[in-house]
Amino acid sequence: MPEWRDAEYVVVNLARAIQPNEVVFSGVNSVLPMAACILAKRAYDFPFTYLSVAGGVDVVPERLPRSSTDPALLAGSAAIFSNEDFYDLATRGKLDLIYLGAAQIDAFGRTNVSAIGEWAHPKVRLPGGGGAAVMMPTAPRIALWRTEHSPRTLVEKLEFITAAGNTVVLVTPYAVFERDPAKNERFHLATHRPDVTPAEIAARTGFAFDAARAAPTPTMSKRERAALDAIDAFDLLDNETPKNETLRGA
Amino acid sequence: MTEKIVSLAELARSIPDGASIGFGGSFLHRGPFALVRELARRGARDLEVIKASPGYDIDLLARAHAVSRAKTGIVAIEGGFGLAPAYRRAIEDGDLKLEEHSCMTIAAGLRAAAAGVPFAPVAGVFGSDLLELNKWKTVVDPYGTGKETVVVPAIAPDVAVIHANEVDARGNARVYGSPHWDHPLTRAAKRVLVTAERLVSTEHLAQQPELTLVPGFMVEALAIVPRGAWPGSLHPDYEVDYQAVAAYLEPGDEALARHLAGAPEAQAFVRA
Repeated sequence: MPEWRDAEYVVVNLARAIQPNEVVFSGVNSVLPMAACILAKRAYDFPFTYLSVAGGVDVVPERLPRSSTDPALLAGSAAIFSNEDFYDLATRGKLDLIYLGAAQIDAFGRTNVSAIGEWAHPKVRLPGGGGAAVMMPTAPRIALWRTEHSPRTLVEKLEFITAAGNTVVLVTPYAVFERDPAKNERFHLATHRPDVTPAEIAARTGFAFDAARAAPTPTMSKRERAALDAIDAFDLLDNETPKNETLRGA
Repeated sequence: MTEKIVSLAELARSIPDGASIGFGGSFLHRGPFALVRELARRGARDLEVIKASPGYDIDLLARAHAVSRAKTGIVAIEGGFGLAPAYRRAIEDGDLKLEEHSCMTIAAGLRAAAAGVPFAPVAGVFGSDLLELNKWKTVVDPYGTGKETVVVPAIAPDVAVIHANEVDARGNARVYGSPHWDHPLTRAAKRVLVTAERLVSTEHLAQQPELTLVPGFMVEALAIVPRGAWPGSLHPDYEVDYQAVAAYLEPGDEALARHLAGAPEAQAFVRA
């Protein structure tokens, strides 16, 4: 059995993106980032503020809700930080780290969550980017995740740019890519799952990247493991990463 | 005082075909879903849905061929169910004309309408193809910083419908938990309709007036609809009924008919 299940790798590496004292936000349709924030609250000693789209502040539920907008993320909260509040916080640059998902991602951390094919006559209508177009250029640090790591999801050219901006990290089930938005640079491979080589990752990635600085991702700590096991009693996380079954062993 | 309490059917009949409707709530949470179902039952047509994060609601109306236009930011059933299939198909087939937003751009449009100004500034958006797609304009700070800001036109829905935990006979509506976007929505819309779990006294609401999301003078009509947010959640009264959502997502007209017939409001009384 591999060291990391796909969902575990994404969740733990999204959690590792959090820095001490940051204000961190997870939004709608974002079970894995929600899990990352809850894991970080349980596994890491440093303080940070966790805001969820459900309106709760620093709520750490006993079990992971199926919806990342669930009122379970309000239970016990001493405040409700509403939609208008967290958007304004983001756009005035005070929401330090925001997690955003996407269907397609390019080497500059831009996203397409709108359509496959021509926007006006799409082959596939995607959900839309939520607040990404507003938050991505205004919040200081954006962390992207994608549960399917393939040439059709990580692309050189997006079919539509839903959002562009301050992406600093991209986590997939195989790899962690990083970039400095201030330099408007492309992603480089920062770390990779120990059982997948940089060459294998390159073969599964539609954009070119520098792998010179790549290292194996550090092993999950005992506290990260324990936090994951505690919150994922219902195996919700595996449900979030079904698409990679087709990629395993490819 | 004119009587504001009407039946759910009357509330749905008061929304004409072709109307633009802003629904309260977000995804599976505190949406006015009984009213949405009632619109489908009455055979509504050509509606416009305005909501930053719709899902079950817009999907059901697409399935019932009741919606032809939408302003949305992100659309999914959520809760592990992924995309909204009927909504997606309606767009791919050209039956639903989408104006794609970025959630906050809808809120900014609502805020503009609420404040009585023709447009509102919104941060970000630069670098997104939505800017050109929607032909949104920019303004340079007339006060001298030189900073360029995107402005979006006002959005004034014909009707706003929200689901509240409690309401009194005057329409004062109390909501527990997140207001989602219901505050700017109810200020921007030309008419405000409320469905609520429970009828309560004005004295009860007056004990904590800060929990009243919409004051009664703004509310045209209301219906008391227990479990009106089903199959979604209503904090703190009930959670999402995931089995019912899964059953709703079974394909075919029969599954939709079963879902509509099995909804709480269809059980609660003999329908007129």
